Amino acid sequence: MDIVTREINLDVPDQFEQWKTFLESLGIANFSGDEIDPLDYTIGLFDGDQLVGTGSYSGNILKYIGVSHQHSEDGVYFNKVVSNLLTNLGQHGVFHVFVFTKPMYAKSFEHVGFKELVQSDDAAFLETGDYSITDYLESLPKVNKSENNAGIVMNANPFTDGHRYLIEQASQASDNVYVFVVSTDKSLFTSSERLNLVKAGVSDLKNVMVVPGGDYLVSYATFPSYFLKAQADKVRYQTTIDALIFKDWIAKHLGINVRFLGTEPNSKTTAIYNQILEKILPPQVEVKVIKRDQNDGKVISARTVRQAIKDNQISSIKNIVPKTTYQFIVDHKDDLQERIKKGMKISGN
Amino acid sequence: MAENGERLRRTMMFVPGNNPGMIKDAGIYGADSIMFDLEDSVSLAEKDSARNLVYEALKSIDYGDAELVVRTNGLDTDFFEADVKMMVKAGIDVIRIPKTESAAMVEEMESLVADAEKEFGIPVGTTHLMAAIESAEGVMNVLEIAKASDRMIGIALSAEDYTTDLKTHRYPNGLELRFARNMILNAARAAGIAAFDTVYTDVDNVKGFLAETEYIHELGYDGKSVINPRQIPLVNQVYAPSEDEIKNAENVLAAIEKARKAGSGVISMNGQMVDRPVALRAERVMKLAKASGLIDKEGHYIGK
Amino acid sequence: MGINKTAMDGTLESSDIQITVSKGTDGVQISLESDVKKRFGDDIIATIKEVVKKFGLDNVNIKAVDQGALDCVIRARTITAIQRAMDNSEQPAWEAL
Repeated sequence: MDIVTREINLDVPDQFEQWKTFLESLGIANFSGDEIDPLDYTIGLFDGDQLVGTGSYSGNILKYIGVSHQHSEDGVYFNKVVSNLLTNLGQHGVFHVFVFTKPMYAKSFEHVGFKELVQSDDAAFLETGDYSITDYLESLPKVNKSENNAGIVMNANPFTDGHRYLIEQASQASDNVYVFVVSTDKSLFTSSERLNLVKAGVSDLKNVMVVPGGDYLVSYATFPSYFLKAQADKVRYQTTIDALIFKDWIAKHLGINVRFLGTEPNSKTTAIYNQILEKILPPQVEVKVIKRDQNDGKVISARTVRQAIKDNQISSIKNIVPKTTYQFIVDHKDDLQERIKKGMKISGN
Repeated sequence: MAENGERLRRTMMFVPGNNPGMIKDAGIYGADSIMFDLEDSVSLAEKDSARNLVYEALKSIDYGDAELVVRTNGLDTDFFEADVKMMVKAGIDVIRIPKTESAAMVEEMESLVADAEKEFGIPVGTTHLMAAIESAEGVMNVLEIAKASDRMIGIALSAEDYTTDLKTHRYPNGLELRFARNMILNAARAAGIAAFDTVYTDVDNVKGFLAETEYIHELGYDGKSVINPRQIPLVNQVYAPSEDEIKNAENVLAAIEKARKAGSGVISMNGQMVDRPVALRAERVMKLAKASGLIDKEGHYIGK
Repeated sequence: MGINKTAMDGTLESSDIQITVSKGTDGVQISLESDVKKRFGDDIIATIKEVVKKFGLDNVNIKAVDQGALDCVIRARTITAIQRAMDNSEQPAWEAL
């Protein structure tokens, strides 16, 4: 029987139900809004009316790939689904593509040209296309790998004196410091604004290099987790993948032997994240936790800054952010407040 | 009329132009004609891809004795000129004009094909044409279409678009196609070219397919378009001559040979005169018998 | 000569090859994934290189994921991908045919 490939519209209840039932039969159970809503495109392979394979993508990440094993020989359906998604992405100018999947499926993706970046007990992370993590690493400034090199990853939404304090500590203790600014564009301050404010705020520290996190040092919360059996494991899985990328690729390639972390007394997920880093990074990468800088006994946090912008209390933050950040906020107050009005959340990171 | 060597055209197999697996295997099923499709089976974003793929395949894959046909995109599309140029350069046997509605469309295609032949140093006239009739307008003009060019080798009915144009759809009994089928067949015969029937899309319905094929065989069609290799032996089975037909044809050919040796201008068999149509039919029967594997090299009947 | 944008052609289905061409700075770099790489890898790469040469490209990165494609398929997919990268899909690539 001929297999027909058709786009599935998940907004149509009947199509959604058929899709969901099919994936449930393959053991996928998480259809929560934060996984499904961002899907840009979903394809179905149909044998008559019967759905025998499907796949989706969200941005440049493939998701919800499932094929019927009963009828498919030698991954014919799997290849068809992945091929269709990659072709469709290519037609939209997207050629660099990621997938997070159960470790058992890593081989299938490798067979169609993906390269595995890291693998944990819960998941494998792979990429394919016209760009790779090696290209990213090549684009970064190089230092002497045998020196004492530190790495810091921050979202800096926006850059505060607290961030500055952490970088200063690293700068004093190390020969060179890489500051990776997370590139995920889901924050009040855009990724280029955040990057530029960090650069401006540490321009006096000569051994500090501020670089974009690219596609690899992103907000780990964006890692899809729908394929996990137990959703309770979600943060552990996400942070583990994140830690492995840092250790196996970033640190290894750049010669980073210390990772500096700030404490986050008010965030449970950050606490878990730090625990996982301490478990995974050593011995190759030492973890140094720096206690938060305080201002009049209060922890400095970027969240306080965002709240002050919302409340139009800009002068209240003058003492907790560098001059460059303060000036930027003053200059762009209206724009920032407009973003908050339009629904940009100020909680979170 | 391009040729009347009475080439067998029992089956014209449709092959999607962007499917390497099907293009690779297209020659192994014994289709009399293979039609590579650059039109409806190829999405807009893949037109360039299919065109290059079919070109390279035509240049390097051996399809044996099969007649090679390409269905280009329509004359009103941006793809059509590149389609025609490349297919002519690749040495395609026949270009199938989609949605043909007038002799003018055939003439437009002919002039483009002639230009391409000159450009690539191919003798002008080498590339043949056929027209697909897919609308009421096309059916009403089918005779002028059939006679529009010396390159024309056939006309085909394409029923999906045609029935939509008529505000009906396909029915199992085929009543909705009766007029078009007869028009096309008669126009083809009047112009001395071949008539191809439309596809039968329900691949799993062998009974329905056989009934439709028997019907168009009775009407006088040269053959049928097929979308699945499994339909090829079924068509061939319908078109296979009976033992009586073969024996009779052998007698006719023997009589012609006898007359030739005797230097006689008049050929007779069992006291009846053997005229040209009878001789042509006998030749065609023997060709079919050979293609159906019913006679051996020496001409002995080996069917059961 | 080089190309400035990425383009792709072909699929991951049986008998096909998926070719992605992208901007390169270090000559003609070809990476190949294929079940028959050991036996036919050199041939596949040679076929791709031949097409690249006909287009006069000196700097280009090519990723090829093969599923058992014939030579003619490899050629066709490479031609189409390069033409797409050069924004020249509707002009037949006479230089490469």
